Amino acid sequence: MERDLIELKIPNKPDYVGVIRLTTSSIASKMGLNIEEIEDVKVSIAEACINALGKSENFIIRYELYSDRLEIFVEDVREVCSKDDSKEKELGIFIIKSLMDEVEFTDSGIKMIKIIEDGMDD
Amino acid sequence: MPLDITVSFDHVKNTWVVKPVGEVDIYTSPKMKEALIDSLKEKDIDILIDCDELEYVDSTGLGVLISILKRVRESGNDIIIVNLKQNIRKLFDITGLDKVFIIKE
Repeated sequence: MERDLIELKIPNKPDYVGVIRLTTSSIASKMGLNIEEIEDVKVSIAEACINALGKSENFIIRYELYSDRLEIFVEDVREVCSKDDSKEKELGIFIIKSLMDEVEFTDSGIKMIKIIEDGMDD
Repeated sequence: MPLDITVSFDHVKNTWVVKPVGEVDIYTSPKMKEALIDSLKEKDIDILIDCDELEYVDSTGLGVLISILKRVRESGNDIIIVNLKQNIRKLFDITGLDKVFIIKE
């Protein structure tokens, strides 16, 4: 199956999370997701970035665009939060799991999938 | 989109009326927290948050609301949230915060 790949390397700072949200929204929009699905993806990518905040110099994000789904990988996102982590981070992971269709944690970060119900027709 | 916050005092209801305009996210939520805490320092009363022009909230924004709610409840007061947009209401619903806060249409 054909795959388009987009990689984003952007400073790991709070003021860039807004840029990442907008970039992600336009990618999700290009794939034909509806407004509510775009919002789900936008909220999820932001929560992933909040989780990864301060863990490295850059946010490393990889978008894989398939005809039937959008897969997003974000490095440095951890499911098991340390005792020092805030309740907000737990809330963030919970939100991602609620809004995305599939969520998987790997050694390097998180993989989030949004299924495209109608497929990409254009 | 940045965040603008206006805080006014409703003399009739003896309530702070807070109106966030824009986005309460990881970058702007400290500003929101500061505005709410400053108000409570001046007068420890109910807070009404009018979300008519609030476009986006993330977990840090929700975290600010939860911590302020704890604080106002200690004094026997409350936070009332009005005019939530559908996308933000969804976050309150999935996190169960719709049952924690007083949310009015």
